Amino acid sequence: MSAVPTEGAVDVAALRRWIDAFAGDVAEHQEELTRLDSAIGDADHGSNLARGMKAVLAALDSERPATAGALLKRTGMTLVSTVGGASGPLYGTFFLRMGTAAGEVESLDTAALGAALRAGVGGIVARGKSELGDKTMYDALAPAVDAYDAAGDEVGAALRAASDAADRGRDATIPLQARKGRASYLGERSVGHQDPGATSAALLLGAAARTLG
Amino acid sequence: MVSSPVGLVVVSHSRPLAAAAVALAREMAPAGLLIEVAAGIDGPDGPAFGTDAVAIAAAIAAADRGSGVVVLMDLGSAVLSAELALDLLEDPDQRDRVLLCPAPLVEGLVVAAVAAAGGVGRAEVAAEATGALAAKVSQLAVEPDGVEPGGVEAPPVPPPRHPGGGAGAEPGADLEAGAASDAAAAGQRRAGERRAQERAAAVFVVTNPHGLHARPAARLVALVRRLSAATHCELRLRNRSTGSQWVPAGSMARVAVVGAEAGHEVEIEATGDGARAAVDAVLELAGRHFDEPVEAPAPTPAPPAPAPVDAPPRVLPGAPGIGVGPARGLGPPPVTVPDDPPDDPGTERARLDRALADVAVAITASRDAAARDLGPTEAAIFDAHLLLLEDPELAGRTRTAVDAGASAARAWADAVEGGATALEALPDPYLAARGADVRAVGEQVLRALLAAPGGQEGGLPEPGGGGDGGERVVLVAADLTPAQAAGLDPARVAGVVLAGGSPTAHAALLLRARGVPAVMGAGPGVLDVPDGTALALDGTTGELVVDPSPERLTALRERAAAGARRERAAGERAGEPARTRDDVHVLVGVNVGSRADAEAAAGADLVGLVRTEFLFLDRDRAPDVDEQVAAYRGVAEALDGRRITLRTLDVGGDKPLPYLPLPREANPFLGVRGIRLAGPHPALLREQLLAAVRVAHETPVSLMFPMVAALEELLAARRELDAVIAAEGRGAPAGLQVGIMVEVPAAALKAAAFVPHVDFLSIGTNDLTQYALAAERGNPAVAALADPLDPGVLRLVDAVCRAAEGRALVAVCGEAAGEEVAARLLVGLGVRELSVVPPLVAATKQVVRELDAGAAALAAAGALTADSAAAVRAAAADRPRSSGKPRC
Repeated sequence: MSAVPTEGAVDVAALRRWIDAFAGDVAEHQEELTRLDSAIGDADHGSNLARGMKAVLAALDSERPATAGALLKRTGMTLVSTVGGASGPLYGTFFLRMGTAAGEVESLDTAALGAALRAGVGGIVARGKSELGDKTMYDALAPAVDAYDAAGDEVGAALRAASDAADRGRDATIPLQARKGRASYLGERSVGHQDPGATSAALLLGAAARTLG
Repeated sequence: MVSSPVGLVVVSHSRPLAAAAVALAREMAPAGLLIEVAAGIDGPDGPAFGTDAVAIAAAIAAADRGSGVVVLMDLGSAVLSAELALDLLEDPDQRDRVLLCPAPLVEGLVVAAVAAAGGVGRAEVAAEATGALAAKVSQLAVEPDGVEPGGVEAPPVPPPRHPGGGAGAEPGADLEAGAASDAAAAGQRRAGERRAQERAAAVFVVTNPHGLHARPAARLVALVRRLSAATHCELRLRNRSTGSQWVPAGSMARVAVVGAEAGHEVEIEATGDGARAAVDAVLELAGRHFDEPVEAPAPTPAPPAPAPVDAPPRVLPGAPGIGVGPARGLGPPPVTVPDDPPDDPGTERARLDRALADVAVAITASRDAAARDLGPTEAAIFDAHLLLLEDPELAGRTRTAVDAGASAARAWADAVEGGATALEALPDPYLAARGADVRAVGEQVLRALLAAPGGQEGGLPEPGGGGDGGERVVLVAADLTPAQAAGLDPARVAGVVLAGGSPTAHAALLLRARGVPAVMGAGPGVLDVPDGTALALDGTTGELVVDPSPERLTALRERAAAGARRERAAGERAGEPARTRDDVHVLVGVNVGSRADAEAAAGADLVGLVRTEFLFLDRDRAPDVDEQVAAYRGVAEALDGRRITLRTLDVGGDKPLPYLPLPREANPFLGVRGIRLAGPHPALLREQLLAAVRVAHETPVSLMFPMVAALEELLAARRELDAVIAAEGRGAPAGLQVGIMVEVPAAALKAAAFVPHVDFLSIGTNDLTQYALAAERGNPAVAALADPLDPGVLRLVDAVCRAAEGRALVAVCGEAAGEEVAARLLVGLGVRELSVVPPLVAATKQVVRELDAGAAALAAAGALTADSAAAVRAAAADRPRSSGKPRC
């Protein structure tokens, strides 16, 4: 396999930087995520996800996967086993599907990364059976992958567009009424609160824009 | 064949909780049962609450010894993780052997352990577990006010889960408390509603010499399961003589333990819709000694069951007309698969493919007939049946089994049984009812495979064949599948008597379209009427007479003859306008779905509804403007240039067209359909409007928009129409009228807002009824609710008529327009156009002619304040049509 990366391509080391950055962001925003989740959920999103990402870093340190697919799948499997709450199977599915779509390659070009992101988001939809406007992480991820695909061939620009779209999607969850998960039990009282899942999803895209571009 | 027991996996957020549940279950079941646990997660500080899909996948692999695994979960992410675990299993065959069971964890695990230890298959284990909550629900639901002596309120009944049903019913909760009080409050409201459910109970004495041993118990359990699937009621029983506990009557294992011996009194109780009929059906079976031959006559006949709370089952009018003839039970006994050695897999595979193809042809013919007679919505059931023919669960599994050496018939029968059982085990009643579809299609294919008669028509004799000397028979059946109803030949069948069924179910609609008189809801006793017994029925009034006296028979024959004379008279005057006796002109139109329909519509004053869908279905691209113009022109020509009412395309996400991609919707009947398509697909509407405008320059055209809920939808469509007219550049066609379908209750109540913008309002009573009563008429469990004569629906019609009075014509183009009782009330409310299926045009005109509009208005005013559809029908029966004779 050729070890020469294409111009603008994302290699395994870059993906690792993304995971590191996301783990850092989650740790930094753990209090905020927990506060958001305490408003409309069960106040464990921040701590669950932080615990899971910490375990991911440990797993990646000990295993040092050599391909994009292996790195993403190891991330997903670790989240599945360590998060505990609903975000475990959801983010776990995201990374597992993304890893499967990426395949055993050493780097991804703009199109391949986009396809992998879309596959991951598709996994979240399949697992959570969520739709746009349900006030879930999908509300941040769906516009992000659309913006990525629309942004053109330059991976940095595409990821910045995706991150911006995810932020807007996250903000747009505030007036929504939750239709999935624990927050849906609150009915109309979920209106006016930003969705914690959409918030962590926006962190994920923000980390990607900083590290993969 | 001895196989290892089904394995169980417990998924919980909490390790101690799972361990305790397993300990409880193990007390009830012998050792050797495989129960694996995947609970909690390993946190940095030791075990923590949570679920782990990897651990679940490992537990499943450990619990599977070849017979498969049933997974029981607690809540929230447990469900998501278990679903993900299926993806993580490496062996796809193993994945197929896993059932995720919706049962409550503790109750479900205990029952599943008992069932699995008893050696039953995984589908049955899951079904028993899912039913485990029933006893608790019925115990708590029937306590008055739910207050125990200790003052503890009954806990809430968990809500059923509706797929995509929105708030409250979705998984997603985690263990920590917080908002639980809201859910609990909602649950208590639901519990309160539940207490108002129908409930029926009775006692029978076991007359079988060996008591309720395996065979009679199996008959009982099988009946109860069928009833539960068909009626959504729950049945339980107890041995009153021994004072046993209540047990679910649908559980073989539980029924066996009540120890009912000969002479014991057994109490049976049903809760839920159809409870009375269900209890009656069980008593009926008990009266037949559970179909076990009883050698000596029972020393003392079983005392009659306590009188039911309500009257015996009413006989409902199903399809109008009088039928007299010898009884004929429906078809041969259920097909059994012979033990013939299979041919080689190639031959068996070819046999299967041929049978599937033959049945596909038959179902397609039924579908086309239903689409023509009733419209695409009614025909959709056959599309579902067609899909089932190629369902991987059925055909795929059958092919696999055939390749492994099974006969096609045996493999198909097993696949159908498995598929239907799995569906029937689902907690969602709608999905569970689809099991009946699987069985219906399954039997049709099995008959084709075995070359048994009755594949399509349920074993009816060929014309002139059989022992009836060619006499027309009265068909007696528990219920009819749509395919059977569509296949009945009026030349061979004088009438139909159904033990179950509902006047609003598909079978009734199809019988009406076929012109076969029918009564429904006659109760299971009617199935015991021996073949050849004289039966007489009046499907207009809802009367059934078994073995009628000569006088009664004469009276009925006279009534039938009078009906025939009336029909003849109606036929002779079909082309004349219909005026009531007090000279109110009521237009009688015809509903058509093709030019052929229009040609059959002798005498209609206009086409009150052209279902333009007929042009759009079964093709890869939309018809262009020219093709539409030609088709609409053809319909107008068939009616000698009378007015045609074109309804713009009315399809939705339940039946997407290949060229019209529609997102899958959880609830297509509340989704993007009818005029709502104009938003995402503006070109489709524009082209249809263009075709309508071009035809309207040649011949009178009314244009109506379906599924209008908001005024803005109509205004937008009118703007589009104006734009099309302007683009054509020939000015507005002189005869062009514009209206809306009133199918949405809100539109009926807002009719005054629409009236200034329309020439007419056409009420689609079928959908209006379903939406107003939240009851789908294709669902036998709720179809009886969907009666267009429900006073709630009549009030909606009344609201439309009052808003439109003197300003716009009000039409009805639903089934109700062709039902005599309903037609009289509709005219009384102010409806001035009735549009019906082609065979009913002449008769409907005659109904109008025999009516006094003033008297009808009085009757209608009374109906508006009635408290039920039954009361409306009863009042109509007591108030004969003006020129008719009093009812016998």
